Amino acid sequence: MDALRRALYPEIEPYSTGTLQVSSLHRIYYEESGNPRGKPVVFLHGGPGGGTDPKQRRFFDPEAYRIVLFDQRGCGRSTPHAELRENTTWDLVADIERLRAHLQVERWQVFGGSWGSTLALAYAQTHPKRVTELVLRGIFLLRRAELLWFYQDGASALFPDAWEHFLAPIPAAERGDLMRAYYRRLTSDDDDVRREAARAWSVWEAATSFLLQRQDHIAHAATDDFSLAFARIEAHYFVHHGFLEREQQLLENVGRLRQIPAVIVQGRYDVVCPMHSAWQLHRAWPEADLQIVPDAGHSAFEPGTMAALIAATDRFADR
Amino acid sequence: MASRTAHSVPHRVADPLGGLYPPLEPYHLGRLGVDAQHDLYFEQSGNPNGKPVVFLHGGPGGGTDPKHRRFFDPEHYRIILFDQRGCGQSEPFASLVDNTTWDLVDDIERLRNHLGIDRWQVFGGSWGSTLGVAYAEAHPTRVTELVLRGIFMFTDREAEWFYGRGTRMLFPDAWEAFVGVIPEAERVDLIAAYYRRLTSDDPQVRAEAARAWSIWETRVASLVADEASLAHCDDLDFTMAFARIECHYFLHHGFLAHERQLLDEAGKIEHIPTTIVHGRYDVICPLENAWALHKRLPRSELVIVPDGGHSAFEPGVAAALRAATDRYR
Repeated sequence: MDALRRALYPEIEPYSTGTLQVSSLHRIYYEESGNPRGKPVVFLHGGPGGGTDPKQRRFFDPEAYRIVLFDQRGCGRSTPHAELRENTTWDLVADIERLRAHLQVERWQVFGGSWGSTLALAYAQTHPKRVTELVLRGIFLLRRAELLWFYQDGASALFPDAWEHFLAPIPAAERGDLMRAYYRRLTSDDDDVRREAARAWSVWEAATSFLLQRQDHIAHAATDDFSLAFARIEAHYFVHHGFLEREQQLLENVGRLRQIPAVIVQGRYDVVCPMHSAWQLHRAWPEADLQIVPDAGHSAFEPGTMAALIAATDRFADR
Repeated sequence: MASRTAHSVPHRVADPLGGLYPPLEPYHLGRLGVDAQHDLYFEQSGNPNGKPVVFLHGGPGGGTDPKHRRFFDPEHYRIILFDQRGCGQSEPFASLVDNTTWDLVDDIERLRNHLGIDRWQVFGGSWGSTLGVAYAEAHPTRVTELVLRGIFMFTDREAEWFYGRGTRMLFPDAWEAFVGVIPEAERVDLIAAYYRRLTSDDPQVRAEAARAWSIWETRVASLVADEASLAHCDDLDFTMAFARIECHYFLHHGFLAHERQLLDEAGKIEHIPTTIVHGRYDVICPLENAWALHKRLPRSELVIVPDGGHSAFEPGVAAALRAATDRYR
């Protein structure tokens, strides 16, 4: 089956990179690859705090697309690293607009998975006229129930082995609210406490993101360079409920998106962002094309998920 | 405590059962009256002088299948399959009267005595693991080894996972169909709502409920759903027993004295060589069930199959089960 599945486009280097000062504190890194005159697409990475990776350029036909990647506040090559101040969903939505204006793009395709799907929905609901198409994966609507599934009781049932490692840094008395317990440690003044918590937080997600666990992925997640920004920024957003005004906000505002062509790709065995959310989004927004990948977990780089995502961007390339 | 991850098996295996022993016919078929009403079907295959093993099927109410014989080396094992009360070829069909966990435990002892067997290996998956542990805890001296798959200890948490908060998160489409049969007002207690329909006087109502109940479980049983396997959900000879008996046991919390009985009494079987095989993506009986039992049985071996769901017949799970019975032969 894998042999017939569409692979990523070849490795590609950006033709332009830059940074943009988005607030008195934050400067974000961005890059452009592919065809400078092509159809513009902006890639929204996950986490929040995950940063971009060169592989993410490869979801798009470089002859057809002007491919824009950027590191959201506080992560990847954006500075200051792992900074939580002035770092909210709405700051990031405003950054996407700043970047669009800076690059003189009028409208663009928005592509995002996991937290990238959350941010894409928030951005598209705020600026629907700026979005030509939406390609979303591993739907995350940032509701309390979704967070509790992954950080309190849910995914733990299928990964009790990895869960033991996630619980380890937290004393039994604090396990009633694991997100809070982690947030305290991730914002501790003690460097060692922060690092230990960041590693355990990031490894939990890495261990549960692929259908079949990948040790290289877990090892990368455990590095300080990655885990500090990832864990700190994620926990910061999650204890603040994604800075949403209402729990069901992203679902309630789906009406604003009806005119935007959209594809939703969801792995059946996504235990990080279980399909329940994609299904609710699908029911609220039947115009969007929901594609369930039967043998995939959460990651964008599962074979079936990659194929479905590339098929979506190919389909939209000529529009 | 031995816990290991099995190597994943490529999915391109032409016959997923290729890893099991070849099909074989029983050398003996029999029936055993276990009380005034219930009459059980049993069969023996393999080597009449071999090491005895009893296969406990799932559900409850699932019945045995000729494929179940194939987990065991027929040259070494005297393979005993039987249909639990009310299902398969046992009679009366789909009966819920005098049908409890402890009746079945007694039946296993009746069958053992009837066959003149002193001790035997006990092999069971899903509900078969529940019954296997219940039997072993009641009669530990009769069990040589335990081979268990897709662990289910019948705690409230496990029941709520499958009929409430867990599985539905990953299979919202199948869940929609499962709850769709029940009017909204009755969904606060789905088990009770289904039970009313499965025990209705109206055969049409019973049949519709039995079909929906069986489809829910079948659609989530394998890593990648096998649409062909849904065919047996149209077979009333299967669904009526499966759905009615399963629902009856769930409504009564497995007839346990208290919900953690099987885990709390695990000390009684700690000395029995035990292998636990569990698919990582078993969404009916999540891996944490096996993890909890494994902790209570420190000498047990836990084999986690990375690309396995709940079914015994996925390549990785089948291979791990066969490896266990081979080791114990």
